[in-house]
Amino acid sequence: MKYKIVTLLFLLAGIGTLNAQIIHRGFVRTHLGGLIENGEYSVLKNTFDWRLEYSKGDVGLFVNTVFDHNGLTKDLDINLRQAYFDIYFDNFDLRIGKQQIIWGKAQGVFITDIVSPKNLSDFLLPDFEEIRIGITSVKVDYYMGNNTLELVWVPLFSPTIMPNQNSIWYPKMDFPIIPTFDYSKKEIDANLDNGEYFIKYSLLSSKIDFELMSGYMWDDDPTMHVYKTINPQTMQIDSLAVVPQHHRLGLGGASFSTTVGRFILRGEGAFYDGKYFNTEDPQIADAVIEKDYLHYLVGLDFSLFGINMSTQFIQQAILDYNDQIKNDEYENTMTYMAYKTFLRETLKFEFFSYIGFNSNDALIRPKISYDLSDGFEVIFGANIFVGDEGKFGNYDDNDMLYAKIKYSF
Amino acid sequence: MKKITLILLLLIIVVSILPAKELTGLQIIQKVYNRSTGNDQTADLTMSLINSRGDERIREIKQFLKDTNDMEKKIMFFTTPADVYNTSFMNWSYDEDGKDDDQWIYLPALKRVKRISSDSKSDYFMGSDFTYDDLGDRQPTADTHKLLREEEIDGEMCFVVESIPREEEYMYSKTIAWIVKDKWIGMKKEFYDEDDDHLKTLSVKKYKKIDGFWIILQSEMHNIQKEHKTIMKLENVKINTGISDNKFTERMLKRGI
Repeated sequence: MKYKIVTLLFLLAGIGTLNAQIIHRGFVRTHLGGLIENGEYSVLKNTFDWRLEYSKGDVGLFVNTVFDHNGLTKDLDINLRQAYFDIYFDNFDLRIGKQQIIWGKAQGVFITDIVSPKNLSDFLLPDFEEIRIGITSVKVDYYMGNNTLELVWVPLFSPTIMPNQNSIWYPKMDFPIIPTFDYSKKEIDANLDNGEYFIKYSLLSSKIDFELMSGYMWDDDPTMHVYKTINPQTMQIDSLAVVPQHHRLGLGGASFSTTVGRFILRGEGAFYDGKYFNTEDPQIADAVIEKDYLHYLVGLDFSLFGINMSTQFIQQAILDYNDQIKNDEYENTMTYMAYKTFLRETLKFEFFSYIGFNSNDALIRPKISYDLSDGFEVIFGANIFVGDEGKFGNYDDNDMLYAKIKYSF
Repeated sequence: MKKITLILLLLIIVVSILPAKELTGLQIIQKVYNRSTGNDQTADLTMSLINSRGDERIREIKQFLKDTNDMEKKIMFFTTPADVYNTSFMNWSYDEDGKDDDQWIYLPALKRVKRISSDSKSDYFMGSDFTYDDLGDRQPTADTHKLLREEEIDGEMCFVVESIPREEEYMYSKTIAWIVKDKWIGMKKEFYDEDDDHLKTLSVKKYKKIDGFWIILQSEMHNIQKEHKTIMKLENVKINTGISDNKFTERMLKRGI
């Protein structure tokens, strides 16, 4: 704690010396949430999101520090979400440092948006800016009119941040007996060979916007290699050892958006060259199998009766499938979003939902926000999980109501 | 010979005493539409939204415009209020009849440039009294125009033109505009709703010749039915500075001002 306070004072002192030229922005937010089932608080968090911008000529600097005080655990968490330099040239820009990199045209779904890993500590519920983890990287954008070529080098791999074991968001593990975990292979050594590389070409034009991308990366989610010992007498499982391990992934993808009459039509897809899946095939010692994999969506944005709407159909497909793979061959999901503003855009009703077809589950998120004055906002909402199993149904006990108050400066 | 000279003289006298041919409503509106405001323009735009209680909200925008041969490009960077800071909006508007605008928005929270539909022209811009369509250049052929009369406003002689939309579903049943003779600036415009009731009035409060072009620097849109008004001010206006095409790209949407 002392260390954090000293760091904060040091930061304030440092900033003070440059204060005249730096733009300070950010927000302060209080977030209170409670579970509908038992009335327990699920969130009690105060956040100070502080953004500093400085630019002089063709050089810029951006720092985003987030101070989160968890009222339930009394912990103060200080996170440097982004800290980077921008250097602007005639035809290209260079960004170096910890940064969030967002690709693709999908909303609330991650298909070609695979550069910045995710923080799933609170599942998919925080704002998307807060889900994405800033990664230390070098990004070059080269421009030719409305064409852009982007190259990204991530020298050090960062995995998905998963909820801790005490969290209500810790995913259910589907093992017949309690396993032991061996994390010895989970870490990726920090060296040049273990870097991640991404390339993207994008065009923004009157007829269509599209992106072509490719990446040589690590799978952000570890593969669970499962080793079991069978008792030869009972033929029952004696022990289970789970070894989480990240694997290399090659990926190519594309996305587009275009206007069709009164609609915006969007599409996005990615081909994964070799992704690991768990299998029940007894011949495979570590219960994982490598298969090529497709992930794609098609979406429409439109306005009806003054309500802005958006819907997406998403499919994940495992190629060369066999029935022993634990995942379904095809997994189908839909999203639906609608919002309308009133009172000169000060009152907003919003609705977002994920609907899983394989497990008949869903996440439904209604929200009302009202601007008390410019930059001063109150939000009331709910997160309703429907179903008994699946990505959303697993959290059926976590239905919650929440309120937020936020001041942006 | 004398006879011919006499006839010619008579003809000249007759022609000179005949009234000048009057402009039609369409010709007047076309002159307003074609009034040049330069090839490009940079300005700081401030909108004050004032409700019936006198409460005021401020929206500030830095905007860049460029006219090319077949389209007008516009990019806007929102600076106030704080929760929309760094949001940017780009519009490509085409001269070609019937071709819809292309629009993109960059939301810093999503860090993504998103194509949006230009279908929502009747939506109010940032909660103001101006719709997106009010802020754009409406094609003269979209309405039928009728010159009603000539009238003086603030010491300026104006043509008064009524415009009725050809499109049945349009948000206004008609508009009446007061156009300053010779300057071709709309000094005042009344908007009528679907029931033909007076909805709002646009009044130009200040205009100035900058680098040879008449530019409206301050206007007020007053919604009479809701007792709400928006004052729009342009400051630091610069004309024909040679803004590069590169200003109207994805790069600038993301980079900001």
